[in-house]
Amino acid sequence: MDFRPLNDTERRQLINALRGNAESDRAILMDRRDTSFLGTTEEVTDEEVISAIKSVPCHY
Amino acid sequence: MLQALVGSATRWLSDLQRSWHRSRQSTQPSTSTLSAPINYGPLERVLLTDGVGRTLFEEFASHRSEARGDEETGWVLLGLREGREAVVLATLPAGAMRDASVAHVRFNSNAQAVASRIVRQTDRRLITLGVVHTHPGSLRHPSDGDLRGDGQWVANLRGKEGIFGIGTADGPEIAGDLFAYQPRPHVQCMSGLRFSWYSLREGERAYRPLPVELTIGPDLARSLHDFWATLEFHAERIDRLYRQQSGMRFQVMSDKWGPGLLLTLPLAERGDAVQVLIRPKEVRYYLLRGGDLLEVQHHDDCVDRGVYLLLAELAARA
Repeated sequence: MDFRPLNDTERRQLINALRGNAESDRAILMDRRDTSFLGTTEEVTDEEVISAIKSVPCHY
Repeated sequence: MLQALVGSATRWLSDLQRSWHRSRQSTQPSTSTLSAPINYGPLERVLLTDGVGRTLFEEFASHRSEARGDEETGWVLLGLREGREAVVLATLPAGAMRDASVAHVRFNSNAQAVASRIVRQTDRRLITLGVVHTHPGSLRHPSDGDLRGDGQWVANLRGKEGIFGIGTADGPEIAGDLFAYQPRPHVQCMSGLRFSWYSLREGERAYRPLPVELTIGPDLARSLHDFWATLEFHAERIDRLYRQQSGMRFQVMSDKWGPGLLLTLPLAERGDAVQVLIRPKEVRYYLLRGGDLLEVQHHDDCVDRGVYLLLAELAARA
């Protein structure tokens, strides 16, 4: 069992991914071979898109 | 209700089932891509797919020939936002239930919201990019009233910047013109119609002309446009159902009976599902269970209520 410490970049990416997951439901990707952290995706939530659609102002 | 379940699938139902199985393979979400965070700078150009370009010119021309042709109309634009450019991949029409006159247009956002859920099944990266609207006269620039609303709205968009197109019918008429041309980098003209493109960032006091270019690609929402009036009619109930039922999927269909939208709601057993087929004149309910497709003799035009009554019947029989 390997307990390699994360370097600064990996730690920052993981924190950002966790924050994105908690605040915006963004997926966190996991390596299926060893369950290590792979990164995040460009996925955008429905709520973000629909909020923008619902708030389109009247145009003149 | 379930006593009336029809156990033998007709040929039509078999076709539907085959269609559904085909679509399952094609409507899987695209593979997510790893990415570094995008640093959004000011937009330098907007790319329209040829599908989107066709939609705008064709539907603007069609709108002008209708009874409400002297009113303003428009579309919400969905697509991908890169650091310095955006690609428009889908158009969501203002809808027949829009509030509009010769001097204003407010879109029916209920149908557009449901349509965005349907379109984004294919790519979860799609976002709201901006708005196109038309002016009945020759004002080729967004108005002061537009600026007041858009200036606040762009705060909701990635990069705090939106793309705005203005459609006018004052383009030069060229006899026999077969293709669009660009008299200026931010202007497209064809058959007497003109679209002028601008961007606006949060805090800016004026729109910027935005160069527009074409690339090959679809309008991902175009198949919904023929079905739009029906979508508007059912939009609120479909959206409520989608938010309440995890895993619900959409499939846009078209066959000899016309366009339709198939909703699939998975049940507890793997492969089992309730399906709802929405057509302009009817709503039909089906049960996919143990590999068999059963039509439910259950008539309820309120989609969400129909589904819950069916689920209640299934629960009572479990």
